[in-house]
Amino acid sequence: MRAAALLFAVVAGTAHAGWQWSTPLTVNTVRGARIFPHMESANRRNVAVSGTTVGVVWEDNRSGSTQCYLATKPAAAASFQPEIRLSQAECYEPVVIALDGGRFVAAWEEAGKVHARLLPGGAAVTLSNAGAGQVTLAAGAGKLYAAWAEQAGRFRHIVVSRLEVRAGTLQAAPAQPIEAAPPTDEQGWPALAVAGDGSVTVAWEDRRDHHTVPLTSHSSDGRNFVAPVRLSDLRKGGGQGSALGLGAGTGAMRPTLTAWGAQGVVAIWLDKRDFLSGYDVYAAFDPGTRRFGPNVKVQDSFGDNMAQWHAQIVGGADGRLLALWDDARDGTPDVWLANWDGAAFGDNVAVPAAAGPGVQSDPAATLDAAGMLHVVWLEQDEQAGTRVRYARAEWK
Amino acid sequence: MTLIKMVLTASCLWATAVQADPPPGYPFVGFDAGLKAAHESNKPIFLYFGRYGCAWCDHTNKKTFSDAELKKLYSDNYVLVYVDAESGRRLTLPSGERITEAELGVRLQAFATPLFVYLTPQGDKIMQIPGFKTVQDFRDFDRYVRGGYYKQKTLLQFLDGKS
Repeated sequence: MRAAALLFAVVAGTAHAGWQWSTPLTVNTVRGARIFPHMESANRRNVAVSGTTVGVVWEDNRSGSTQCYLATKPAAAASFQPEIRLSQAECYEPVVIALDGGRFVAAWEEAGKVHARLLPGGAAVTLSNAGAGQVTLAAGAGKLYAAWAEQAGRFRHIVVSRLEVRAGTLQAAPAQPIEAAPPTDEQGWPALAVAGDGSVTVAWEDRRDHHTVPLTSHSSDGRNFVAPVRLSDLRKGGGQGSALGLGAGTGAMRPTLTAWGAQGVVAIWLDKRDFLSGYDVYAAFDPGTRRFGPNVKVQDSFGDNMAQWHAQIVGGADGRLLALWDDARDGTPDVWLANWDGAAFGDNVAVPAAAGPGVQSDPAATLDAAGMLHVVWLEQDEQAGTRVRYARAEWK
Repeated sequence: MTLIKMVLTASCLWATAVQADPPPGYPFVGFDAGLKAAHESNKPIFLYFGRYGCAWCDHTNKKTFSDAELKKLYSDNYVLVYVDAESGRRLTLPSGERITEAELGVRLQAFATPLFVYLTPQGDKIMQIPGFKTVQDFRDFDRYVRGGYYKQKTLLQFLDGKS
């Protein structure tokens, strides 16, 4: 009986397509026990592919202060080229997106303001006027946008700016706040997606209801945004405690967005509505109506009793969609992914090179124009130092 | 008019303070300031890892941290640190690594709030306790930590043997 079951599993396994992974590479050239690379950017935009060139950004403290770095690798190269430093002063949470022809745009927080730069070449431009951080970028339908959290009185609010490349120079339109009214509590960690129809969707963490809730808004022109609504389908004031007059509600944080299919947008975020098992990953779909539907749990039942962290949604114009995150269901943190099968997120699969003993965490990923999946993550080693790792996968 | 504005502003600030976070009246400080203060005073650190709007944090604040004697016990003998489980504010670990407050939750493998972490004055973790706890619980934890019992016994061994 067991042999028959095993045979069935093998046959079923070979009958199904899956991600076929390349040999992993190490991206960062400088490592050490006291050097701490991080990839914790808004919308987790730490890897991009332009043509056949892969770009990876991260921050680390090798120079004595935290600085931001970019490394690139042509598809044919066996390794990444030595990284270049993007910043001069203390730098955090860099992001990168791809333009055409091997060009990238990177953005980051430096000395308390947000900056962007066209690469290769290009000079850094300052995007924010006031104190700002948590910048992210998105491109699509011939448009390029940046969003960040900028100080507006006592709190930060989310602003969006249209970027353009003219004569090899990056130029930014004046930043537009999502809402004209000053923020009544903290806003942060924006995510952006430019859908196939050219509209831009923004999601962010918002505390106006006295707990952290991802809100979303969209605009057809990048200047006028509709009134924000909750991504979570839990009503305002919901949660176990509120019925007892305790607390304002459950927590949900770090939304990420991706354009998906012809005109869709998909969001995922970390959600603590089940307060005993840490954050779970939830998703919501906008099929092109500019309205997100009911929330869908992403991780499978094996991950239900675990806290999930660092979740990202990755989609393609061809309809491919997957979510990545890390959790410690096998004893130590590993990188997991779940593919959308058209009706639900499938069984969770570990990224082979980012699983096993030790800590593998903080995944970020993108799909290239050919549908190849590119993933980066952190592999922690307390003695040798943390490595930024990269692997590519093809669906076969 | 100015007075009305001031009263309204004060009300808003108070409402925010009540919704958020550490119990009122306790001298909680941020992580970096707390680690520095602990080094200087040689007091252990009591780290309250809470979440904005968290029901069980609110319950603990109202039921437990409202106790005047507990407030004096912890205010006098610990450096009190508050960390916001979902915040992007940055802190510096004793190793020198600079991370966000939310990322500290990943490192602590936090699955629920509130989470109470006791640390040595050097910032080394002694123990972490999740969820609602009573005044007596916190008195027991204090004896375990400041009495140095944690060096020889687990918390359960200590609590089983307490008189």
